Amino acid sequence: MTVSSYVLPTSVAEAVGLLQAHGSEILVLAGGTVAMPLVNEGVRLPARVMGLRRTGLDGIQTRDGGLRVGATTTLTALAAQDAVPLLATAARRTASWAVRNMATVGGNLFSAPRGGDVATALLALDAVVEATGPAGMRSIELDAFFTGPFTTALAPDELVTAIVVPAAAGATTFVKLGRRQANTPAVVTVAARLVARGGSVTDARLALGSAGPHPVRVAAAEAALVGRSLDDVSIADAAAAATDVAAPLSDAVASDWYRRRMVGVIVRRALEELVPAVAGRVA
Amino acid sequence: MGSSVVAFELGEREVEVLVAPLTTLQAVLRTQLGQTSVKDGCRQGGCGSCTVLVDGEPVLSCLLPVEDIAGRRVTTLESLTPVDGLHPVQRAFLERNGFQCGYCTPGMEMLAAAFLKRHPEPSRDEIVDILSGNVCRCTGYEPIVDAIAAAAEAGR
Repeated sequence: MTVSSYVLPTSVAEAVGLLQAHGSEILVLAGGTVAMPLVNEGVRLPARVMGLRRTGLDGIQTRDGGLRVGATTTLTALAAQDAVPLLATAARRTASWAVRNMATVGGNLFSAPRGGDVATALLALDAVVEATGPAGMRSIELDAFFTGPFTTALAPDELVTAIVVPAAAGATTFVKLGRRQANTPAVVTVAARLVARGGSVTDARLALGSAGPHPVRVAAAEAALVGRSLDDVSIADAAAAATDVAAPLSDAVASDWYRRRMVGVIVRRALEELVPAVAGRVA
Repeated sequence: MGSSVVAFELGEREVEVLVAPLTTLQAVLRTQLGQTSVKDGCRQGGCGSCTVLVDGEPVLSCLLPVEDIAGRRVTTLESLTPVDGLHPVQRAFLERNGFQCGYCTPGMEMLAAAFLKRHPEPSRDEIVDILSGNVCRCTGYEPIVDAIAAAAEAGR
């Protein structure tokens, strides 16, 4: 089957209208880095396709000390912003330059990849997904956005239109283990954000990528840190909690056995980076 | 069925092509416009051999529907090459043996040209990092990194 129609809507309303008319029969492309390989390979043989490059959904705005990132903002643009260094790092550590010039922030949520390095960082930042459908816009906590392997809380006629990143207190870190330094899918990715007072952790976020069917926050690891100093003991407890919830899969990058082993290691390395900040030795 | 005309700039000239829906820029450049430097590699965005520039930014033409770039400016290795010689990056690849089979070369050179324009004095590590999306199965990369470093040196 060949593609009979490729449409480039010029507004969100038009794009949502196409989703309403065609539902899951229409393939949605933003940057094309996830969907086009499936088309090229014949994994997807859509009759109808729509591209989002002309919807005007790109762009980053600062808002109340945080960010509102338009869905079709490229990873290159996200890597270039300096308001939220954790997001810039996560974007920069994803794929290659040419891919980052195409891949979009919204596409990486919409397509619900298993790894999702940017999504992992966004989880540590309490990000909220703005979804737009026929009834208008609604907000979905990113923590509740991924519902299973390649599935999301979006209705079939909804699009991700923006990601809102609130002003986030605390120190952040992003540690990704891959098979090589650059342009690698993750074995395991860890993003963490810790707020501390008087040498003790008062609030914690810890998110894992590639450690299950989709990026997740690990509440048990966060709970293991709150109210304690950040030291070998609390870090080991958090790493053990993260290892417990990890449900990694085997693929060409790593086996589930290796990923599970690495969850604890990478959580420990990530948290160790935050020791000086929590101890108050750096601003 | 459902074909449309797409106009864009290729180097210095305006081109118009008749394409079926969702035809990739790679297919148009290589099969309709004779730009044989634009390789049909992995079609997954993983090998970099189809790298071209759109408004000066490197992209993977195998993942880009040509309809998306209507009105924009596309640069291929053919359009980068001067009529009477070689681009400095091409000359450096030639002098440093930055290729063996040559399949990855156009993509490597497009990326290198775009990179050196932004970072005229890159470190070796920065060159290695930026090449991460372009696969070469022959050289082991060292002569390619040498060539880009030499092109940077020559440009100073």
